[in-house]
Amino acid sequence: MSNISVTTGNGASRAVGARGDVVLKVDDLNVAFPSEDGLVHAVRGVSYELRRGQSLGIVGESGSGKSVTSMAIMGLLPKSAQITGSAKLEGEELLGLGDAELSRIRGKKISMIFQDPLTSLNPVYTVGFQLSEAIRTHYRDVNKAEARKRCIDLLDSVGIPNPQQRVDAYPHELSGGMRQRVVIAIAMANNPDVIIADEPTTALDVTVQAQVLEALEKAREEVNAALILITHDLGVIAGHTDEVLVMYAGRPVEEGSVDEIFYEPRMPYTLGLIGSLPRMDEDRGHRLTPVHGTPPSMLNMPPGCPFRPRCPMHQDICAEVEPELLPINGTGHVAACHFSDQLVDKAPDDVFAAVATDLAVEAEVEAAEAEAAAIAEEEDK
Amino acid sequence: MVVFIIRRTLMMIPVLLGATILCFVLVDVANDPVQDRIFEIQQSTGEPVPQSTIDALESAWYYDRSVPERYWIWLTGIGETNDDIGLIQGKWGPSIEGTAMNIGDEISARFWITLRLVLFATLASIGIAILSGVVSAVKQYSKTDYTLTFLGFLFLAMPIFWLGQLFKEGAVQLNKLLGTNLFQTYGSGTTGFRGNGWEVFVDALPYLIVPSLVLMLGSYAAISRYQRASMLEVMNSDYVRLARAKGVRNGTVMRRHALRTALIPVATFAPLALSGAMGGAIVTERIFGWRGLGVYSLDAINSGDTFAVMAYLLISGVVVLIGVLISDILYGVLDPRIRYE
Repeated sequence: MSNISVTTGNGASRAVGARGDVVLKVDDLNVAFPSEDGLVHAVRGVSYELRRGQSLGIVGESGSGKSVTSMAIMGLLPKSAQITGSAKLEGEELLGLGDAELSRIRGKKISMIFQDPLTSLNPVYTVGFQLSEAIRTHYRDVNKAEARKRCIDLLDSVGIPNPQQRVDAYPHELSGGMRQRVVIAIAMANNPDVIIADEPTTALDVTVQAQVLEALEKAREEVNAALILITHDLGVIAGHTDEVLVMYAGRPVEEGSVDEIFYEPRMPYTLGLIGSLPRMDEDRGHRLTPVHGTPPSMLNMPPGCPFRPRCPMHQDICAEVEPELLPINGTGHVAACHFSDQLVDKAPDDVFAAVATDLAVEAEVEAAEAEAAAIAEEEDK
Repeated sequence: MVVFIIRRTLMMIPVLLGATILCFVLVDVANDPVQDRIFEIQQSTGEPVPQSTIDALESAWYYDRSVPERYWIWLTGIGETNDDIGLIQGKWGPSIEGTAMNIGDEISARFWITLRLVLFATLASIGIAILSGVVSAVKQYSKTDYTLTFLGFLFLAMPIFWLGQLFKEGAVQLNKLLGTNLFQTYGSGTTGFRGNGWEVFVDALPYLIVPSLVLMLGSYAAISRYQRASMLEVMNSDYVRLARAKGVRNGTVMRRHALRTALIPVATFAPLALSGAMGGAIVTERIFGWRGLGVYSLDAINSGDTFAVMAYLLISGVVVLIGVLISDILYGVLDPRIRYE
């Protein structure tokens, strides 16, 4: 394994700050998209701090604003998006920068890995071309031979066998897992300060997921970058992050360390997410406790807590006042719920009912079972 | 690649043969030059035509045998002939205009005139269509986009004979207005002009502008809509987003990643504009008084000149097949996922 942190001639070995410094500070980020029916508030006030070497997980359902938050930071949203707030990378404001300034930062200081490896690479260029493009865009003095050598090193470091040959392969000649490794290699090519991974394993099968996450972890360690891992897979969050941000309806509803989120959730939605996850340490017959309903429409959000319609604990105040993120016990663990103190030591089963998602199906199953029992009884006679 | 081209060219032969059989049958059932001529003679002399004249006509134009026999003799020239027929021997068959009119000479002289028009129009339409399609896509829903879209549909909807007259009149008025002779609207070149290749080309340019503009507009409209759609699709793709996330400047992303990939579907479709232009040339040449293949074929069809029509159909068939071949080759050049085996 080659030492990749001191390569690419004079450029790529940039000064790396100490662990623990704040690299990315997002403050009250709001994103809205105009649509025919009105403004869609996709993100409503996201704030977080990311420290060097830290790994932040962002979880939430589809449409909760996870991806839009990161795309807004990267400046990859369409022009029609209305973005307010602030996102500072090492003190430099990213929001509102033009194409020229953003291009200087993107891929060099902050890079991104997308969800679908099958479509993330351009089918008409070789892997090596797309990888060296990432390097040579930022370091013009790197010649082709040097860039190629670095590409091979990078491919090797993300675990691609035979990198000398694979560097000339076209994307369609590689499997999904291999392509996602190439995308990871592209993301780490210039030793960025922050890597944003937007559901990097969603499109991959489970065995490959583990390998890709391992490659991502290694990449992060080698370049000492901070990682934002966006996913809806709580298992991935548990294994690969330090801090977790739970998002619901475009807002963070709970933030804390991995242990706090998994063992002391203080927001019913977080508890619901955990209850929806099958666990190895439970009985085989243990019923999951799903969160019923769907997230609210982001058009014309009603006042009050957006989770209220799906929350088994909701009371009158929830319909009127949207709860702020409030500290739980001074450790940095915050939750947005009026009744977070009622959730102390509660298991998912205590709050959510263990029923099948579809009550009609449940009734049908019961009827079929009763019929089978009646037939069996008759046969016994 | 070379093997592919050779194989693909060989495959054109059966396709072309099939096409000639179809054309020959259609042309043959559509008219009977012998009967037409007999009728003409009868009208002019007012007397019944003697059987010997009919026999002479039939044997001169090979109408004394069945359709399959006539096709065979047209194609091969093997059998009892007057030594003027047999495609594979380079003889195109007798023209009903008489022995003074040699179909082969006529066609080879006119072919270059038409090819000049058709090639110029096709290349211009592809180039301009790609450009305007890209502009339309990049500036989606802007005024530019709407204008280009409107023009595209306008040209698509306007029949070429109407458009041709309109442009011709427009060019004449423009010439008057500017007091120049910039646009020539009749003929394909200065009559009797002699010179080397370049001089002929320069001489022909003013004559070429308006007709090829008219001829290109139909296929321009189709290709530019196609290019716009394919560009929009690619612009929303993940790899274009990834390229921007890598820090590549927007213009470079558009050129290197979006346009390059969006060209693939257009490249497979655009060379077929050649066949559209071949057809459009018939009308365009008539309007602008060119003595090209299109006009020749129209005259041949009107006078029921079977072998002349066949010669025209054969040549346009070859041109279309070459267009298809070019699009196949382009596809392979542009898309590495296509392999020639």
